[in-house]
Amino acid sequence: MVRYLITRLGQALVVVVLVTVIAFLILHLLPGGAARATLGKEATLEQLAAFNHDMGYDRPWFQQYVMYVQRLLHGDLGYSYQLNQSVVEAISQRLPKTMVLSLLSTLLAIVLAIPLGVIQAVRRNRWPDYAITSLSLLAYATPIFFMGLMMIILFSQVWPVLPPEAPQGFTVAEVLADPAGLVLPTVTLAIVTIAVYSRYVRSTMVDNLNENYVRTARSKGLSERRVVLRHTLRNGLFPVITLLGMYLPALFSGALVVESLFNFPGMGQLFWQAALKRDFPILLGVTVIISIATVVGALLADLLYAAVDPRVRLRGSAS
Amino acid sequence: MTTLSEAVRPGAVPDQPADASEAPVRGLWRQGVVVFCENRLALVGLGLFVLLAGVCFLGPLFYHTDQVHTDLQAVHLAPGEKGHPLGTDGVGYDQLGRLMLGGQTSIIVGLAAGILATAVGTLWGAVAGFVGGWVDSAMMRVVDAMMSIPSLFLFMLLAAIVTPSVPMLIVIIGAFAWLGPARLVRGEALTLRSREYVQAMRGMGGTGSRAVRRHIVPNAIGTVIVNATFQVADAILYVAYLSFLGLGVPPPAANWGGMLSDGLADTYSGHWWLLYPPGIAIILIVLAFNFIGDGLRDAFEVRLRRR
Amino acid sequence: MSESTVRHEPAAGEPAVVQPLLELRDLDTDIALRRGTVHALDGVSFEVMPGETLGIVGESGSGKTMTALSIMGLLPHGGRVTGGQILFEGRDLRSLPADEVRRIRGVRMGMVFQDPLTSLNPTMRIGVQVAEPLRVHQGVGRAEARERAIDILRRVGMPRPDRIVDNYPHELSGGMRQRVAIAMALVCSPRLLIADEPTTALDVTTQRQILELIDDLREEFGMAVILVTHDLGVIAGRADRVAVMYAGRVVETAATATLFRTPRHRYTEALMEALPESAIREGGENARLYSIPGLPPDLSRPLTGCRFAPRCRHVTDECRTTDVALSAGSHQYACLHPVPAASAAPVALPAPVRVEATPEPAQPTAAPDEPAGTPVLSVRSLVKNYAAHGRGVLRRGAGQVSAVADVSFDVGPGETFGLVGESGCGKSTVGRLAVGLERPTAGQILVDGTDLASLTGRERRRMHRQVQLMFQDSYAAMNPRMRVDAILAEPLEIQKVGDGAARRARVASLLDQVGLSRRVLERYPHEFSGGQLQRIGLARSLALQPRLIVGDEPVSALDVSIQAQVLNLMRDLQRELGLAYVFISHDLSVVDYMADRIGVMYLGKLVEVGPARDVVRAARHPYTQALIDAVPSVTPSAATARDGVTIRGELPSALNPPTGCRFRTRCPLAQEICETEPPLAGDRHQVACHFPLRPESSGTPVEAGTAA
Repeated sequence: MVRYLITRLGQALVVVVLVTVIAFLILHLLPGGAARATLGKEATLEQLAAFNHDMGYDRPWFQQYVMYVQRLLHGDLGYSYQLNQSVVEAISQRLPKTMVLSLLSTLLAIVLAIPLGVIQAVRRNRWPDYAITSLSLLAYATPIFFMGLMMIILFSQVWPVLPPEAPQGFTVAEVLADPAGLVLPTVTLAIVTIAVYSRYVRSTMVDNLNENYVRTARSKGLSERRVVLRHTLRNGLFPVITLLGMYLPALFSGALVVESLFNFPGMGQLFWQAALKRDFPILLGVTVIISIATVVGALLADLLYAAVDPRVRLRGSAS
Repeated sequence: MTTLSEAVRPGAVPDQPADASEAPVRGLWRQGVVVFCENRLALVGLGLFVLLAGVCFLGPLFYHTDQVHTDLQAVHLAPGEKGHPLGTDGVGYDQLGRLMLGGQTSIIVGLAAGILATAVGTLWGAVAGFVGGWVDSAMMRVVDAMMSIPSLFLFMLLAAIVTPSVPMLIVIIGAFAWLGPARLVRGEALTLRSREYVQAMRGMGGTGSRAVRRHIVPNAIGTVIVNATFQVADAILYVAYLSFLGLGVPPPAANWGGMLSDGLADTYSGHWWLLYPPGIAIILIVLAFNFIGDGLRDAFEVRLRRR
Repeated sequence: MSESTVRHEPAAGEPAVVQPLLELRDLDTDIALRRGTVHALDGVSFEVMPGETLGIVGESGSGKTMTALSIMGLLPHGGRVTGGQILFEGRDLRSLPADEVRRIRGVRMGMVFQDPLTSLNPTMRIGVQVAEPLRVHQGVGRAEARERAIDILRRVGMPRPDRIVDNYPHELSGGMRQRVAIAMALVCSPRLLIADEPTTALDVTTQRQILELIDDLREEFGMAVILVTHDLGVIAGRADRVAVMYAGRVVETAATATLFRTPRHRYTEALMEALPESAIREGGENARLYSIPGLPPDLSRPLTGCRFAPRCRHVTDECRTTDVALSAGSHQYACLHPVPAASAAPVALPAPVRVEATPEPAQPTAAPDEPAGTPVLSVRSLVKNYAAHGRGVLRRGAGQVSAVADVSFDVGPGETFGLVGESGCGKSTVGRLAVGLERPTAGQILVDGTDLASLTGRERRRMHRQVQLMFQDSYAAMNPRMRVDAILAEPLEIQKVGDGAARRARVASLLDQVGLSRRVLERYPHEFSGGQLQRIGLARSLALQPRLIVGDEPVSALDVSIQAQVLNLMRDLQRELGLAYVFISHDLSVVDYMADRIGVMYLGKLVEVGPARDVVRAARHPYTQALIDAVPSVTPSAATARDGVTIRGELPSALNPPTGCRFRTRCPLAQEICETEPPLAGDRHQVACHFPLRPESSGTPVEAGTAA
C-alpha cells in the first residue's frame, strides 16, 4: 500500500512536470513568441525586446524553462493586458464556480447513473436495458450545446419554468443563491456524464454478476435483492471510483461548452473568451491549472480506490 | 466456471479423423461478416453512413445550388419557398445544398482525423508496449500528461494559434486524439506479448520481428479498427465543438457543426430549419459510427470465441 | 479413511422405512443458448439417504454439475428445470413458493464449489460471509454470528479462526479458502451438503485434507453428502454409493464397492480401463491404455437409443434404437449388453479387454532404466530466481523467489523422464528453462552434450530443433487467427526447412502421425475439441524432428477417455521416432504410467530421482510417500494398506524457503540435522533426505552415476 502510494504520487508529479513542459513549448511555438502573445499585436519592437529581457526570454531555453517553473511555483502565471488583470487573479475568481458546476453535475450523474446501470445489469438484454442503452447512446452522440439548447427551448420557451441563463454572481455564494439558474447548466453537463457512467456501471455489474462468488451467495439462499445490493453492488462500484478520475478531462471539456452556452462565469467561459481574443497568457494559465486539477483529481480517485478496496489495500502486506 | 462450458462443450468436429470435416469450412473473414450482419444495429449504422455519405458527396451532382455567393434577396426563406426544399439561411444559401457541403467537410475531417489519430496512437502504443522498460514508462507518462489536459482546451489553444482550415483541423484533432488509441494498443501489445502462442513460437526459435508480424499485429488489428470507428465519431463531434466555440472553418466553407452553431442564433426567431437538420445530421452520423464500431467488435471477437 | 461399505449398515437395525432425504424423479434440465437448446439433463433419477455419501461421477458434459445446480436452483443464465421432481424431505422443491425454497436451500442444504479462489466474495470479510446465512435465515445478532463463525471455522480446521474472521479471502491459500467455503455451507447445520468438484483445483496433499474433512464433518453433523467429481479415485475412497453419468443421464448406480468390483454398464467399464492406474496394475508399464474412441454426443441435437452406443465396443443395432431404462434393484444400470455379472472375480478390477494390440511388443528403447550414450538433455545445478517485485524504480529489493534451486538430471535418448510435484514446486520452470524460453540464473543446460549458454543466437535457434515444448492448453498456445496448416508449418518456416511444397508434404505427414485427417488443415483452433488440440500441438512439436519433447501437463485438462487417446499416441510416437520426453505433471498416476524414470520436486528442489517403478512402489523420501498416499486410488484395498505419511500445513513461501531440507517444516521425521541440506545421494534411486524411508532397493548399482 505504501509502495503503491509512493509510486502513484511519483507518477502524478512526473505528469505535472510534463504538463508544464508542454505549456512552455506551446508558449514558445506561438507566432512572434511569448512577448508578442503577451503584449498583443500593437506592441513595438522595443517593447518586445524589453519584455523579452525582463522575462529572461533572451536566455538559453532550459534557463527559460527553469524560470518559467520558478514563476509558476510562486503563483505567477503572467499578466493579461487585455483583462488588465493578473492571470492568477482571473482564474481564482472563476475556478471555484467551475468546480461548483462540475461537482453538482457529477453528484447528479452518480446519483442517477448507479441505479440506472444496476437496473440494466439486473435486467440485461431485456427492454429496460435496451431502452437505457439507446438513450445513453443518443446522449453520447448529441453535441452538448445542441442538447443544452433543447433544454433551453423546452424549459424556458415551451414550458417557461427555468431561466435560460446561468447565475451571473461574482462569488460562489452569489452563484449558489440562484439555484434555478443552475439547474439547466448542471443537468446539461450531467446528461452525457450519466450516459458514460451508467454504461460503465452496467458493464462492471454484469461482470460481477457472472462471478462465481455470486453463485456462492445465491447458494446461501439469499434473496436476489440481497445478492445484488450486499454482494455485487459494492464490488461493481469500486472501479467506478477510478472512472471518476479518468473522466475529469471530459468533464472539464464539457464544462467549457456548457459555460459558453449558458454564459456561466467560470473558467471555461474565461478560456473561451480568451481564445476568441487570442489572450494567450490566460489561455496557457487556464490550461496549466485545469490540467493540474485533473492530475490531482485522478490521483485522489486512485487513492480513494486503493483505500476502500481491500484487494488493493492489503496487497502490499500480504507478501 | 464449469457451469456453462460443461453442458455446451461437445461439438462440431468429432474426434474421429474420418468425419473431421462435417461442418463447412469457413474463413474467418466470412464468419466475421456473418456476425456483423447478424447485428441489426451495425447494419443500420452502415446503412446510415452510406446514405449520409451518398447524399453529401453525390447529392450535389444532381441538386445544384450556389454555395459561394450570398443572396440577400432570399434570406431566411422557409422550407418549400421559391424552390428551396429546406429553406435558406441568413445570407441566402440554400439549406439543403449547404447540408451536403457541410456534410462533406464533417465526414472528411472526421474520417481523416480519426484515422490519423489511430495511426499515430497505434504506432506510439506499439513501440511503448514492445520495447517496454523505461522507454515504455517515459512514453506513457507523455500520454498521461497530454491526457490530463482536457482535449477541448488543447484544441482551442491550437485553433487560436493557427487559422483553422480543413487540413489544419485534421492535423489539430489528429495530433491530440491519438492518446486513447496509444493506451489501448500498448495494453494490447503487453497482453499479446505474453500469450502462450507467442511463447510457443519463441520455443521454436522464432524472432521478435516474427512475433510482431505474424502474431501480434494480426491479433491486435481488430481492436485498432474498432477503435478507429469510435475515433471518427469523436472527431466529428470535436469539429462541431470547435465551430460552436467560434474556432471552426470560416465561411464560405461549411460543416454541420458550424451550421448548427449558426442555427443557435436563430432559436428565438423561429427559423427551425436552420437548427434541427444539421443537429440531427450530426447525431445520425455519430450514432452510425458507434453502431458500426459495436458490430465490428462482435465480428472480430467471434474469431476468438471457442465453443 | 474407513472401509466404505460399513457405513451403510446402521439403518439395517431399524424398521426398513427410512425416507430418502433427497429424491430426484425424472429430472429434465434445458439450457437455452443463443442458438438452440442444450438438453443438459434427461430423466435423471436417484435417491440420497440421510447420512450417506452419494458420489456422482462423469466426464465433462455428462451433466453431473448441472444436476447439482438444478437441485440448488443455481442454473446459469438460460438454464431451466423443465420436468420431473426434486423431492427434499418429502416435499417437491419445484412446487413450493420461491421464498420457502430459498430458505430450504439456505438452511437445510449447503454447497461447496470447485474453484475456491473465485467462489468467495473478495471484498467481504470472511466472518461476515460465513455468518451471513445465520443472519439472514435465523435472525442471529451480529456478535453472536461472529462467535458462531469462529466456532464453525475452528471445526473445519482453520488455524486461529478468531483472527481469520476479520481477513479477506485473498489473504488465504486455496486450501484455506476451500475450508472457509465448507464452513459457510455448514454454518446452518444442513442435512445435505453438495460438493461440486471440491478438490479439483487443489493439490493432492491438500485434496486429501479437504476430503477427509468433509468425511469427518459428515459424521459429526449427521448429514448426507453429494460428492460430484470427474475423478473415480476420489469417489472410490469416499462414497457409499455411486451414480455414473453420461451425456445427461444416469447410466449406472450401485454401492461403491460393488460398482468398482463389478461395473455392469459398458461405459463404466471403459472408463475404468482408461485409467493409467488400471493399465499399470493389469499389464505393467508397457500395457496400452484402453481409450474410448470419439467424443460425447452433442446434447443440443435429438438423440435416440443408448447415448454411449457410438463409442461402445459392444454396440449392436438394437442399442442405437432402443431407449434403455435403468434396471431395478440396488445395482441399477441402463445397458442392453452389460458386463456379465459372472466375470466379476472377487479381485480388484475386470481384466481390461485389450482391443488395441500393442504394435511392437518388444520395446526398442534399450533398457529404459539406464540412459545409454550421451544424454539428449542434461541439466546441471540449474538455478532460477525471480525478482519478487522486480518492476518499477521504487520496487527494487523486495527479495527473490527461488523457483528452481540446484536441480540436476539427465534424459537419455528415447527415455521418458517424469517430473512430478505440486503447484509452485518449479517443475514447469524447469521445462521452460530446458526449451530455452527462459534463461537460467545459474547452472548449465546441455542438449546433446552442448551447453546452450555457449551458443550464439543463431546456433541457439538451431538447437531449438532438438528440444520442443508441448503445452497444457494447446488452444492458448495456438494463434487463434491462424489455420492449422499455418500453425503446423510455422516451425518449419522459422527454421527455414525446405521449400513451400516440402513443408506442405511435411505438414500432411505430421497429421498422419497424430491420427488426424488432412481435412483439418483449413480449420481454425477454436473448431477443435481438447483432445484434437493436443494432437495438433503434438504434431507441431514434432515438426522439426526433435529428439526431446518437454510436455508441460500435456493431458491435465483432458477427460480420462480423451487423456488415454493422447497418452497412447505419445507412446506410439516415442516408439516409432525414438523420442525422449520430459513429462511434467502433477498427476502421479499418469507419470507413473508414462515415465521410465521419475524426479520428484518440492519447492524448487529435486528431492528424489529414480526408476519409475521404484519411486512409486518404494519411495525413499517422506514427501514422495506423502504424495503417493494422497493420490486417490480406485482400488479400495490400496486405500487402506498405506504407510500413512500425512503432511499437514501449507507450502512455505518460495520467497524465503526454509534452510537446509526445504521439506523439513512439514516433515513428520524432521530433526535438527535437517537444517543442513541433504545431498541427493544414491546410485540409481537417489534421494535427498537425512532419514530416507528405506534403503535403495535391490536394483544393481550402475557403474557410472547417471545423474550429475
